[in-house]
Amino acid sequence: MSAPNSNQRKACWGVRDELWKCLDDNQDNASSCDKFQKEFEASCPAQWVKHFTKRRDFLKYKDKMQTEGFELADGPKESRS
Amino acid sequence: MLCLERRMLGLVGFIGSDLHATSGRLLRCTLRSSTVQQTSGSTHHPQRAWLSSQAPLCGHHTPKHRTRLYGPFTHPQQTLGSSRGPFSLPLFTQRVALSQGPNTSTAKIRLRTRLVVTLLFGGGLLGTWWYVRNEKQQNHRMQRIEQLKKVALGQGDFSLLDHRGHRRTKRDFLGSWVLLYFGFTHCPDICPDELDKISAVVSALDKDRSLPAVQPLFVTVDPERDNVAALERYVKDFHPRLIGLTGTPEEVKVAGKDYRVYASPGPKDEDGDYIVDHTILIYLVNPDGLFLDYYNRMKDDVQIAESIRNHMKSYVKL
Repeated sequence: MSAPNSNQRKACWGVRDELWKCLDDNQDNASSCDKFQKEFEASCPAQWVKHFTKRRDFLKYKDKMQTEGFELADGPKESRS
Repeated sequence: MLCLERRMLGLVGFIGSDLHATSGRLLRCTLRSSTVQQTSGSTHHPQRAWLSSQAPLCGHHTPKHRTRLYGPFTHPQQTLGSSRGPFSLPLFTQRVALSQGPNTSTAKIRLRTRLVVTLLFGGGLLGTWWYVRNEKQQNHRMQRIEQLKKVALGQGDFSLLDHRGHRRTKRDFLGSWVLLYFGFTHCPDICPDELDKISAVVSALDKDRSLPAVQPLFVTVDPERDNVAALERYVKDFHPRLIGLTGTPEEVKVAGKDYRVYASPGPKDEDGDYIVDHTILIYLVNPDGLFLDYYNRMKDDVQIAESIRNHMKSYVKL
């Protein structure tokens, strides 16, 4: 299976952006964006779909950290010796 | 009393801004002393009375103060505000004794001199600051180059096949500035972005005829899939001078190790497709084959082009 060429890449990115926009508009309600999800999976290689899904999760997480703040986790406990 | 003040005011009008301060103080001194004079009432002649009362109230003149007053940097406003002021009477009478023509012009000359000297001084300060700042920036750049030379990336040799199937070694690229990037053709978004960035940088630098041409290189971290044909398909979407390089897994590993490139193929899916996790950096190599600098995702094409220009300039100097 050869790698996507420039046009295929751009097509994939376009569909991905549409999907993400839909998810943003619908508060990440996946069911309302089902159409875009199917298009996305059709336009992009499976590995890319996984990659971009993970990327979106990461970006959401990063946003959450930046806007809502976070609690520092407890570090390793000190050893008593 | 009044006629004396009027006379003084008249003189103020004649004499320039320099003396305005002195006259101002004089005026205040006089007004203060006028009350004293009325209470003392010891003489008939207003001027003499005024003179006699001036001394204790307005202090007495010292030669030191006189020179200070007419020094280059004395600001008229400062002396105006000073209540210690005084010393003005003998000064004033001395000036009055001289004719008024030279007074006006000397006053003007003094003002002009002050302005010129101040401007020169300010200009000198600004120039010094600017020079020191440039020196500091140059030092920073030199320090960074020294540090990166110590890291000594890219000291080894590589032997790879380009996207037309010709064998290329590091020696082939000596004599040109090289922008090196490691990636793979199945990369979802990062490699195309970085290669677009490199293409933009090279195009921008191409526009400047005085600079040597930069050679962009793309080395694969996925030799299993990225053969010569795959590379040929890939590189044509970017800058025309971009050369793709591949080889056997060992050859590719050697090249990657030289630049301490981290590469790790991920798990394969049903199609046998996988993504290679790898270092995302653009390396700058000088015509001697020495690694000089690196650029990460945060740097845009304008910043990279600027950095390369600076490197080229310092290289020529050495």
